[in-house]
Amino acid sequence: MADIRVERLRKTFGPVVALDDVSFSFADSQVTCLLGPSGCGKTTLMRIVAGLEQPTAGEVFFGGRRVTSLPPRKREIGMVFQYPVVYKGISVYRNIELPLLSEKLGKAERARRVEEVIALLGLEVSADKDVSALDNGTRQKVAVAREVARQPRIILFDEPITNVDAVAKLQLKRAFKELTRRLSQTIVYVTHDQTEAMTLADQIALMRDGRIVQCDAPRVLYNRPADRFGGWFLGNPGMAFFDAVLGANGDGPTLASPLFPAPVPVADLPPGAPTSITLGIRPEQIRVGGAAAPGAVQAMLLRKSISIGRQYLLSLRLPDGITPPFKAKVEPALGDALAAGSDVWVELPLDRVTLFDPSGSRLEARLGAGAAAPVAAPVRS
Amino acid sequence: MNETSWRQHLYHGLLWLIALLFFMPVLWIFLAAFKAEGLLVSWPPRWFFTPTLDNLRDVFARPGFWSYLAMSFVLSIGAVVIALVVSFLAAYSFSRYKPTGTNFIMFLLLSVRMVPATAVVVPVFLMYSAFGWSKTFHGMLLFYAMFAIPFSLWILKGFLDGVSERYDETALVNGGSRLHVIFRVVLPQVKPGLVAAFIFNIIFVWNEFLFNYLLGGKGTTMIPVLLATGVNEGGSVDWTFIASLSFIYMLPPILAIFLFQKYLLVGMTFGTVRGEV
Repeated sequence: MADIRVERLRKTFGPVVALDDVSFSFADSQVTCLLGPSGCGKTTLMRIVAGLEQPTAGEVFFGGRRVTSLPPRKREIGMVFQYPVVYKGISVYRNIELPLLSEKLGKAERARRVEEVIALLGLEVSADKDVSALDNGTRQKVAVAREVARQPRIILFDEPITNVDAVAKLQLKRAFKELTRRLSQTIVYVTHDQTEAMTLADQIALMRDGRIVQCDAPRVLYNRPADRFGGWFLGNPGMAFFDAVLGANGDGPTLASPLFPAPVPVADLPPGAPTSITLGIRPEQIRVGGAAAPGAVQAMLLRKSISIGRQYLLSLRLPDGITPPFKAKVEPALGDALAAGSDVWVELPLDRVTLFDPSGSRLEARLGAGAAAPVAAPVRS
Repeated sequence: MNETSWRQHLYHGLLWLIALLFFMPVLWIFLAAFKAEGLLVSWPPRWFFTPTLDNLRDVFARPGFWSYLAMSFVLSIGAVVIALVVSFLAAYSFSRYKPTGTNFIMFLLLSVRMVPATAVVVPVFLMYSAFGWSKTFHGMLLFYAMFAIPFSLWILKGFLDGVSERYDETALVNGGSRLHVIFRVVLPQVKPGLVAAFIFNIIFVWNEFLFNYLLGGKGTTMIPVLLATGVNEGGSVDWTFIASLSFIYMLPPILAIFLFQKYLLVGMTFGTVRGEV
């Protein structure tokens, strides 16, 4: 067992609070990504787990064993930094072998381990090359290989592919995916890049201002953010948000919003729910059409631009002049057909809308007339 | 031949000419070491002559020459090695732990080297007299080490700042102790800095006269003092002695510089200009 548990971890640098009473558990044999904007404390959390930084308060446990005051070398971990740490002037093979030399390993076992990681990371061609001759991406692979070859129980990655060029980034991401699938270690991966986190993680721990906001599988995190921050931070662009007001008709509570042609019934609202509610929806889930449709409201298409996969990103505005402009993503065919400046019809599919209270936390509730069926977490393919 | 290369050749020729001009005095001394006494001061200088080894033989036969030469080697190498050990460890601490006031301390250290030697000779002399260290070997050794530390520290700190702290951390995580990090991981990466600091300081100690003359006794005299005191021994200025002794004395540093040229070029930039970080 090598799960990592941190308890009430606090770290301050002078007046700056980097970690604010974080209690969390990194699951054994899984890849957990710490995702968050710069300065949210994710690197600090990792450095405390590694023992390179001492917490101001709180404890760190590895599989039930308290390691808070252990020096890094006694923690049996591997760590890969943003900056590729390789020893220049010696070969790739030697670079990987170096830390193994101080361990009690037979010559054959050592060679086996080195060759295994070389194959695992596709470094065969460069094995005998001097690392000085390699590009940053390959150097980073060497740094990763060196840590993997030691077979620690825990491997920590600190934004390992931030410093390489775009093509190498893609290759590394692929290599890491392959690698993490085959390793059984507990892996913590720090990044501020959501696609990286989405690709690699078994679960993502979303961080903000020294706290872990939510920890879930990538898809759950994407589709069911626990608060507005998660909705805004994930996705490119993030969720679109609209104001809504809680009211009532004869049958029960309803929700009125400029995006709904008529107030929509809402069920299962927690008691004492606030009247002012925020609707959140992913831009690609907003339904846009060229003709009027039931449930849709009229909007003006301000701009359209092509985004990844030739999808169109549309900037839309409601005629009410109050609702701020928002973005929707549509398929190429539809995007081609719509002209900037023209009128379009916009519909929010009710099962895709997430509700947030004024403090930003998600409200559990169901929208729509036939709201009896529970909304399953929609799975995006 | 196009115009650019023609110009380039001109510039190179000019540079060579200037370099040679500055090298003239050295060449004069080198030639003089092999000239008979009468030829030495003749005007215009004689560039072609029958060389003689008499002058060198005379120097070798002087009483005390070998012990002075040995002392030159022992003091300069010993002092600089002590200085390098101290300043490497100090530079590591300054670079990694960044104690409060690091910049001020670094400035203070360098300012030691800005003070002209003649200005500090009296306080140092009084201090050494009070300690009873004047005319002692360890006194001389420590004095030169003290003088070599600030500059070495500056060079080495520049180099160490260029070695990413991630190297230290990787080694620590990989099971290394702090000493392992310092000597096995970081040290090999600042070798050019060590060599540069070594050469620069050894040249300084090798040529030092004032303090050796005033603080040193018979047992710690180095060649520059012999050069100065041996000049007038015959009643008049003994030019052949100066020339041949200078020749012998200049050989080791010239050789050292020639051998370690590539490190010196890196060292002179204080480690601030690097191919990559």
